[in-house]
Amino acid sequence: MASHTSKAFLSLGRLNIAGLGLNNSASRVTYAAALSTNSPKGDKGFPQRNGRGPVRKPRREPGEPRTEKMPLDQDWTAVYPAAAPFRPSSVPLPVRMGYPVKGGVPPEKKGNLELIKIPNFLHLTPAAIKKHCEALKPFCTEWPSALDSDAKCDELFPIKVESTDFVSAGQSVRNPSARIVHLKVKLSSFNLDKHAQRKMLKLVGERYNKDTDTLTIRADSCPLRQQNQDYAMYLLTVLYHESWKTEAWEDEKTVADMEEYSWEDSPSQKNMLNVLVRMKVAVEGEGEVREQLLGIKEVQEYKDSVTRLKNEGESESTMLQYKEAVKKVLDL
Amino acid sequence: MRAALDLQFSLSFTVPKNMAASVSFRREFCSLARIFSGFSHLGPRAVFACSAHRKCNIIRSHLPVISSSSFHTGTVFLSAPSLITVTEEPDTLLQRVSLLVKGHDQAVLDSYEFFTTMAAKELGININKVYEPPKDMERLTVLKSVHIFKKHRVQYEMRTHYRCIELSHLTGSTAQVFLEYVQRNLPEGLAMEVTKTAMEKVPDHILEPMWKENPAEDGPNDVLLLDMLPLNFPSKAVGGDLQSL
Repeated sequence: MASHTSKAFLSLGRLNIAGLGLNNSASRVTYAAALSTNSPKGDKGFPQRNGRGPVRKPRREPGEPRTEKMPLDQDWTAVYPAAAPFRPSSVPLPVRMGYPVKGGVPPEKKGNLELIKIPNFLHLTPAAIKKHCEALKPFCTEWPSALDSDAKCDELFPIKVESTDFVSAGQSVRNPSARIVHLKVKLSSFNLDKHAQRKMLKLVGERYNKDTDTLTIRADSCPLRQQNQDYAMYLLTVLYHESWKTEAWEDEKTVADMEEYSWEDSPSQKNMLNVLVRMKVAVEGEGEVREQLLGIKEVQEYKDSVTRLKNEGESESTMLQYKEAVKKVLDL
Repeated sequence: MRAALDLQFSLSFTVPKNMAASVSFRREFCSLARIFSGFSHLGPRAVFACSAHRKCNIIRSHLPVISSSSFHTGTVFLSAPSLITVTEEPDTLLQRVSLLVKGHDQAVLDSYEFFTTMAAKELGININKVYEPPKDMERLTVLKSVHIFKKHRVQYEMRTHYRCIELSHLTGSTAQVFLEYVQRNLPEGLAMEVTKTAMEKVPDHILEPMWKENPAEDGPNDVLLLDMLPLNFPSKAVGGDLQSL
């Protein structure tokens, strides 16, 4: 089928060329008459006069370039409907490109390879873009108007799945990095009690960002993106349910495993109580009960300041608070 | 509702009257069909059938079970109206779509940026910001001569310019349409990376912990978790799905 059509094309082409050739030879006759006294070569079936071998088709003169015939209000999208190389006879602009000759200007557009090499956007003029978008509009859907701000989106749709597509030219269309999926979620959007939250943080480790309260799961172990997405959701589910479970060995949690500092049963409490008891004994000579000491306001303030110092770290305000508390407790 | 993309070029381009243009169209379709069969987020298995002459290039793609939308490119010369299929599946919501375009020529990047921003405006997509990350220069130093002359070298550099266009609040269908349009018109010499951030609701199985009904379970609970595996979990699909690439 294809061979038939190609033969048909060729025959068509030959006919065309033959037809034009005849016309051109006629016009060439007039040219030749004007310019020189060559005898008219009307009959191209015969070999050349100087006996060069087989008959060659006479060279057609190029016609008038299309730019001469273009009206000012033409439809440019018809001239360049799709991406095409630069045709100097179809673009009515006096473009010059290339390195200028010494003391001259850049070369003109006719026969300019630089203009052909560079990708052109002649098929994507604003008029063409508008036409394309008009045709594409029926396929688009509207964004729900209720979700106009990021905060609302985060509230209703807290799970974000990020993935990347790659488009480039090369021997292969595939890019293995396209399978990587990042799942980001804010832990405040789940219902986790205190124990569950602590356990979740321990399970997750480095994937949690404390400043933004975001858990990021990166899934890249499966070869396809859909598989990685499914695996990330599965991981999230498992983490959530595991963090609600309390295992038997969790009772063996030591002070070193604790995430926050708590003053009860700490060496600081013991030391403070010892000091206070000895102070009381020295002053009044009686044995005070430790529980009563704990209830004193100054001791509570001291407890707050120490807890804050240990949890938040050293800073101006925490040190000041500690100093004030110590002065009050020891009556300095 | 999700509008599937049935793109027919007879709508967007004027119908070419000569053979040469249709042949170039066909070549375009061929290469682009291959590109789109590579998009892993759609995962189509494109069976490309090229029938005779200048006519039909039918690209049928079979998408996985979940969605029922299809790609269909009809003949260039048919004037049948386009079919917009609306499926029942809810549209994905993309909070952010970030296009990073890389190239060696800054003028081409400028033109492409103008094209992309204009297309986004025409389609009614919010453009968050358009900025130019600093260029990367990869330099290498090689010996100038084939033999000896170690002190004389030649230095080359490769400049990669970037342009980043961030769009926000797109639906899945709109993003598909826009990205396909913009990627089909990506000029030679440019590469693109598209990062999409899709939003999802908290799924039902994460709302409540499942231990509430059975507080005294321990070891065998791991078995229960397997019930929550999604249907096409990779353990079954590793061998089979590789063929679909």
